[in-house]
Amino acid sequence: MLKGFNTILVKELKELIRDPKILIGMLVLPLVIFPVLGAVLGYASQTAIEQAQKATLLVVDNDQGNWSTTFINYLKSTGVKTTVINNTSPQQVVAQELLTKNNSTRFIEIPAGFSQNMTAHTNGNPAITATINVYGAFQGTSIFSDIGSTATNSIINSYNRVIAPDVLYTTQSTIIKGQIQKGIDPATLSGLMITQSIALPITIMIMLTYSMQIAATSVAMEKEEKTLETLLTVPVDRFAILMGKLSSTIIVAGIASVAVMIGYNYVLGSMTMGIPTATSINLVNLGLVPSAFGYFLLGISLFITLLSGLALAVIMSAFAEDVRGATALVGYIYPIIFIPAMALMYLDVNSLPMAVQAVFYAIPYSHPIIASKAVVLGDYLTVVLGIVYVAVFTIVIMYVASRLFATEKILTAKLRFKRRGIGKRQEQEE
Amino acid sequence: MSIAVDAKDLVKQFGNIRALDGLTFQISQGEIYGLIGPNGAGKTTTLRIISTLILPTSGTIRIFNQDPVTQAAQVRKIISYLPEEAGAYPNLTGNEYLTFMAKFNTNNTEELKQMTEEAAKICGLGERLKDKAKTYSKGMKRRLLVARALMTQPKLAVLDEPASGLDVLHAYHVRQIIKNYVKQHGVTVLLSSHNMLEVEYLCDRVALINKGKIIVEGKPDSLKTQYKSANLEEVFAKVVGYA
Repeated sequence: MLKGFNTILVKELKELIRDPKILIGMLVLPLVIFPVLGAVLGYASQTAIEQAQKATLLVVDNDQGNWSTTFINYLKSTGVKTTVINNTSPQQVVAQELLTKNNSTRFIEIPAGFSQNMTAHTNGNPAITATINVYGAFQGTSIFSDIGSTATNSIINSYNRVIAPDVLYTTQSTIIKGQIQKGIDPATLSGLMITQSIALPITIMIMLTYSMQIAATSVAMEKEEKTLETLLTVPVDRFAILMGKLSSTIIVAGIASVAVMIGYNYVLGSMTMGIPTATSINLVNLGLVPSAFGYFLLGISLFITLLSGLALAVIMSAFAEDVRGATALVGYIYPIIFIPAMALMYLDVNSLPMAVQAVFYAIPYSHPIIASKAVVLGDYLTVVLGIVYVAVFTIVIMYVASRLFATEKILTAKLRFKRRGIGKRQEQEE
Repeated sequence: MSIAVDAKDLVKQFGNIRALDGLTFQISQGEIYGLIGPNGAGKTTTLRIISTLILPTSGTIRIFNQDPVTQAAQVRKIISYLPEEAGAYPNLTGNEYLTFMAKFNTNNTEELKQMTEEAAKICGLGERLKDKAKTYSKGMKRRLLVARALMTQPKLAVLDEPASGLDVLHAYHVRQIIKNYVKQHGVTVLLSSHNMLEVEYLCDRVALINKGKIIVEGKPDSLKTQYKSANLEEVFAKVVGYA
């Protein structure tokens, strides 16, 4: 053993463990973020299953033969809530918004000739098969969004096994922005969208945490280097000091936002280009990439969120005495960045229960991630409302920050973490 | 002679701690006035109130007839504050730091040049002003900061422990700067110090402060005579009943 190693180790551990800011920071991640994230995912999964069970399956019977009746009865026997309509083309279902009217997200078309083909097959002509067309509405990127689709497919497969193997074939189509995209499986599309939607939340997490650290240390550094007192006594508006500090980090954050947009665009591009043609789902052709306006809105959402994060970091750092304290304090904000970011990688905010939705919408740092999904679907209203909300939040934060800079609190404010014993000892020493 | 600083019944409360407890004093224009006292006596709190950093809980104060509470922006134009443990921006060169600070006082290029040249003369750092502040020794940094505080020719310079922690030569240089520059330009100075020799050397008048109150005030020589003491240290010890 190295001489003095134990002494140094014990001293270092004491210093770390006795600093409540660091201790809390270390415990926040495993003890708060992951349990909360697990609860959100569990809640979302349960809600998705319940919704799938309650959902109505629309069956468009364009055959109206014996076998289509048998098939519909089989569906009903499995407990699936079914609504049957006759002689309607898939295009008419979409155009007449029959899915929405029937509280459904998918429909099955039994095409004309279905019973004839089934009869031919069961009468000993295995070359003839029957087809059922499944249509699912694209609902965004959630790992639970295809629960209903999976359930429908498994019922069709079980029916297939009951009659005879390989008698029934299904085609999958997805309804995207009111257009039927033939041959696109909603589950596969959803999987692809989840894969590509992971990139932005991760980048936002990195960018927010990194720039908040910079903003926090810019004030803490002034305190640590003992330059703040001098600066506060020179003839300059305190708000100018605050804005100067924020602006420098905003410039860095602005450049970072542009870099993220370029990188994100590249990720989306590579998702469409890298897949072989035979199995490819071209997101650009499907209209599932943001438009130029969408990118613009997403950039604004990202920028305004960064601004609010930076202002909050400056406020937090005012309560620290040095850089180490500032970085530890800013760490308390991380759970409200990480939890929505990690959850929204796999979940669509609209697929979540109302209470969780409300929480996520209330957290400003959720909005760029929500925006990144909304712009893909052309839901600009959600993005604009998010920008307005975060802008209002930012103005409030900046007002608080400016008040803090205008008073002596910028010098005297400190967060106190008194434990009973320590508190008493401190009082006695004073 | 007009009054530079007029403080009456200043009280400052930090939670349960009463840092200032009815502090009253006046400083005439062109005077070097020293606050002496032990740690926690209220010296820095007084200087911070005068420098518009913190507000008094009660009492009144005027700096050249302006109120640092309600006219902080005006007061900041006529004062210059040197905190005890002030630092310079480590990644700026000495010259850049001086220019940065001077720009808060003037937009005029000629005045800016004059100020920084004056500061360079005061600190005597020569070519080292081209180096980053993080390469400076403590003494060099303090000389830079004293120069920064004086280069704007403030009406009132508020200096908290101007030579604290410096070796003999650097401390001597800093004291010379203050003594010569102040007399030359008619700047009023309020300084605090633990160093009685420094105070005796620099100050026209001193106030001994303890537990937030001034317990005795006067010219160093008068105080020594009054308390039959060889130096101010002894005066202080006698006044607080230590000797």
